[in-house]
Amino acid sequence: MSNQKKRIFQIEAFQNRVVVDPKYAEKTWKILVHAIHEIYNHNASGLSFEELYRNAYNMVLHKFGEKLYSGLVTTMTAHLKEISKSIEAAQGNLFLEELNRKWNDHNKALQMIRDILMYMDRTYIPDTHKTPVHEPGLNLWRDNIIHSGKIQSRLLSTLLELVHRERTGEVIDRGLMRNIVKMLMDLGSSIYQEDFEKPFLEVSAEFYRGESQKFIECYDCGDYLKKAEIRLNEEIERVTHYLDAKSEGKITNVVEKEMIANHMMRLVHMENSGLVNMLLNDKHGDLGRMYNLFRRVPNGLAMIRDVMTSHLRETGKQLVTDAESLKDPVEYVQRLLDEKEKYDGIISLAFSNDKTFQNALNSSFEYFINLNSRSPEFISLFVDDKLRKGLKGVSEGDVEIILDKVMMIFRYLQEKDVFEKYYKQHLAKRLLSLIVKLKTACGYQYTSKLEGMFTDMKTSQDTMQGFCSSHPELTDGPTLVVQVLTTGSWPTQPSITCHLSFEMSALCEKFRSYYLGTHTDIKAIFGKGQKHELNVSTYQMCVLMLFNNADRLCYKEIEQGTAIPASDLKRCLQSMACVKGKNVLRKEPMSKDIGEDDSFFVNEKFASKFYKVKVGTVVAQKESEPEKQETRQRVEEDRKPQIEAAIVRIMKSRKVLDHNNIIAEVTKQLQSRFLANPTEIKKRIESLIEREFLERDNSDRKMYRYLA
Amino acid sequence: MGVQKDVVKFNVGGRIFQTTATTLANAGRDSFFGALFDDNWDLQQPPNNRQEFFIDRNPDCFAVLLDLLRTGDLYIPSNVPERLLYREAMFYGLIDHVRSAKWGPFDGNRLKLSRSVTGRAPGDGTAIRAGPVGGCCVAHGSMVHVFDWMLEEHPPINLDYQRVNDIGWVNSEHVLISACERLGKGDGGMGLFSSSTGDLRHKFNVVHDNQIKSYTAGALSFSADYKIFASCKGRSNEYGIGVWDQVTGKQMDFFYESPGWSLGDADKLQWLNESNCLLVATLFPRKDNCYISLLDFREKRMVWSWSDIGAPFTVDEKRVRDAIAMEECNSVCVVNEYDDLGFIDLRINGGSVRWSSRSRLLKGKMPDEPCYPKLALHNGQLFSSMNDSISVFCGPDWVLTSRLRRCYGGSICDFSIGGDRLFALHSEENVFDVWETPPPPVI
Repeated sequence: MSNQKKRIFQIEAFQNRVVVDPKYAEKTWKILVHAIHEIYNHNASGLSFEELYRNAYNMVLHKFGEKLYSGLVTTMTAHLKEISKSIEAAQGNLFLEELNRKWNDHNKALQMIRDILMYMDRTYIPDTHKTPVHEPGLNLWRDNIIHSGKIQSRLLSTLLELVHRERTGEVIDRGLMRNIVKMLMDLGSSIYQEDFEKPFLEVSAEFYRGESQKFIECYDCGDYLKKAEIRLNEEIERVTHYLDAKSEGKITNVVEKEMIANHMMRLVHMENSGLVNMLLNDKHGDLGRMYNLFRRVPNGLAMIRDVMTSHLRETGKQLVTDAESLKDPVEYVQRLLDEKEKYDGIISLAFSNDKTFQNALNSSFEYFINLNSRSPEFISLFVDDKLRKGLKGVSEGDVEIILDKVMMIFRYLQEKDVFEKYYKQHLAKRLLSLIVKLKTACGYQYTSKLEGMFTDMKTSQDTMQGFCSSHPELTDGPTLVVQVLTTGSWPTQPSITCHLSFEMSALCEKFRSYYLGTHTDIKAIFGKGQKHELNVSTYQMCVLMLFNNADRLCYKEIEQGTAIPASDLKRCLQSMACVKGKNVLRKEPMSKDIGEDDSFFVNEKFASKFYKVKVGTVVAQKESEPEKQETRQRVEEDRKPQIEAAIVRIMKSRKVLDHNNIIAEVTKQLQSRFLANPTEIKKRIESLIEREFLERDNSDRKMYRYLA
Repeated sequence: MGVQKDVVKFNVGGRIFQTTATTLANAGRDSFFGALFDDNWDLQQPPNNRQEFFIDRNPDCFAVLLDLLRTGDLYIPSNVPERLLYREAMFYGLIDHVRSAKWGPFDGNRLKLSRSVTGRAPGDGTAIRAGPVGGCCVAHGSMVHVFDWMLEEHPPINLDYQRVNDIGWVNSEHVLISACERLGKGDGGMGLFSSSTGDLRHKFNVVHDNQIKSYTAGALSFSADYKIFASCKGRSNEYGIGVWDQVTGKQMDFFYESPGWSLGDADKLQWLNESNCLLVATLFPRKDNCYISLLDFREKRMVWSWSDIGAPFTVDEKRVRDAIAMEECNSVCVVNEYDDLGFIDLRINGGSVRWSSRSRLLKGKMPDEPCYPKLALHNGQLFSSMNDSISVFCGPDWVLTSRLRRCYGGSICDFSIGGDRLFALHSEENVFDVWETPPPPVI
């Protein structure tokens, strides 16, 4: 029993599983690997697509999907490592070309592999949550080529170098650039941004920092701006040629910041060529360029505006305080106008009518024009001068233009009343001198009426003064302003008489030697507690005067007391009782229209923030109903004789005619003037029969006979 | 006429086929034939020397598929097994072509019984749901069996082996299961499964007061904007309707049940696209009374409701057994035990049911094991199941136009329409029928 070792029987389970020959998968896979090699080696034409498709199908079918997928990744990785080496080996300029060529090859290969492995993409991938062939193809390219240590930095530096060379004026292969950049974008926007865009922007900033430093030392402001504009356009063009459209905003930001924002101060204040110089020399092109470039950066426009404003104020101040220009007012204003025109031109041509610049211009003018207290006088003098001269040789349009410009300047004046004072004087002088001239030209008679008008005004004023001083007791009561006008000198309106109240009659009595004119302004002291000066029309005054003796008046009483025509009275009452803010009277019942039974009171609560209150008259906008009827009636009345005449004319020629025919003939005759109403015609016929112009036929009552 | 240039010659398993590039172009880019041609549908690899392409496949199937590409019609000769044909179609990437040619666009009045599929599950079926591309899933007890459009069964799915209340297709790849909770274990609730592999992809949680609670999920519904609705019952009286986002899988909203009303027990949820509301119906015999309501989740408001509380029951026992909203007619259609249809106006709150008086021929011969009637609406056709048949109603007055009946399998306990097919689940023998519209006639 030396050999005590028990024999252990191992009973294995009886297996009869159908197993695919393990070599099978290996063999199939070898065929596929070989094919992938051939595809990468451009020998694909020798391959049978059907065979490869079938083999890939079989592998998936026999559950070797995982092997297929991972094998593909391994094989592709190996190939890409090879490719990476050949790209690395490419010398100098050939590097990018090689990369581009290999990328195209890889894409083509990927497409073929995808076709071969289509069955795997369709059945194996969805069940296992893997990504279809195309995606790992791109990812492997990214990891093995773009992110390989030797290529990544070289690719970046090559691309940046090319951009730099293009910036310095060399011609580069833009197509190649575009392809390479597109490759980065195809690999995902994050690859493009991280591997190219970010460093590109940094290098660009560096480049433009240096260049702008150089430029600013050796160019003047205008030339510098030209260079900056060119650079900006170049970058925008570059983006359209071979960069992602999303990069445009980013790269222009860099240029703007480095070339403009960082040197803004220096550019604007550059000696002999800065903004002030441009403004002085009307360099619209340069100014426009500056505006457009500075607009792109924060605070750029504010800076131009501030410098322009301070320059404008400075020169304006010199202009208005210059002893030389003060000697000649016309010259003074002309220079203001010239200055205004100059800057209007700059703003419209170079600053694209920017509202903020216009405001700055206005505020500057306002500032310095008012520094000189004689500005209003000078402007008036200038206008006077232009109007006097204007009559000769200058067309009306030109005068208008000059006056418009002066009005612009006039708006800047703070002491507009001073201008008014001067202008009145100048106007008076001008008018008088004109009349004198007219008199010399056309004789005394011609100007007598014009002179009469002046005289009337003058005398009325004198008379009123005399009247007031002779009646000192009247100052407390209603005051009266009367203008006495010579009939014939003034265009007049027909006057309508009305009852004036007792006080007025008394006053008028005192004014007996004069006629009462149509348009009379009275000032009535009114209200309790608070005093208001009411400026009312004659009719309104008459009504108000009635209330001095009574608190409450009904419509009839007012009508009797004033004898104002009904329609005018209603309008006048409406304007005083129904208009908000002017309602010195109160009306009962409250309503918008005036009725015959309404009664009126003084509005005790009347209040207005103005001391002087002008009570207007409600304008009769359309004819009231009775008015319309009245007009209508008048028209009808006028038509009667016309119809009768027509009837007589017709009957005189026809002698006998029946009713319907008369109506028809009359209507026809009169239709050029109006459409006659048949009933009216009938009435006229009756009337004519009565007056024995016509008679009815005895046998036929419808027939009319003309009586000679 | 010159020589035709686009002729392509194939040697398939030894048989020669000749066809043209234009015919093969019908296969589309993502197919075997698509890969043979370049972007202009010119042959990529001109056969060198050999005048033909060899394909190592079954020639009979190739003939069928080639005819499919030529005519758009699928004709399967008796000597070609269907499964083999499907395999071949998979190889060429033509499986979608086969599916869309196999049956025609759905029309309730032209349906033909295509197949009956028997299962092995114990007990009665709970629900059957048609998938979007012709497949279906059937719930039996705690298991759900998934079938693709070829009616091949995929691995069955379950949610912690809890009793399944409802199932639904989120899309053609995913099935949602709602199940009862298991006391104290946190099992049950709602789960999303891959329809092909049966893997659990996501389990949906219910959160009350920032605490994840276990719950029983009932009826399911989906909206076009990728939301999932489910009636839910929690153990601390957290009854109501839960809303989840299909994309993130997170709970978005919860509509709590108000006292005296029923939401959490609902038998049926229906999302209404036009009015942006959810129909929630709790029906007899789950509760003694029926509650039907429309919920607007934007305003968190019940915008319409109907209940038969307090309604006098006549001898006929007009109890509502199923309900479906018909947005075009502004009404809710209901059905009672005797297959009578009734309509409730959606524009009036608290209106009454207008029963359509149909002859009650069936009343005399009720089967031993009656099933509750179910309703479905498809393209303006109304379907109502009753015992062993399904009635089809059409037109504004819902005239009975067709009746689908098969004597085997007993009463229909549930049916569903989708993917241009109607699936009817019978209460006996674990069998379901597939009804299809034949492809359109040749002329």
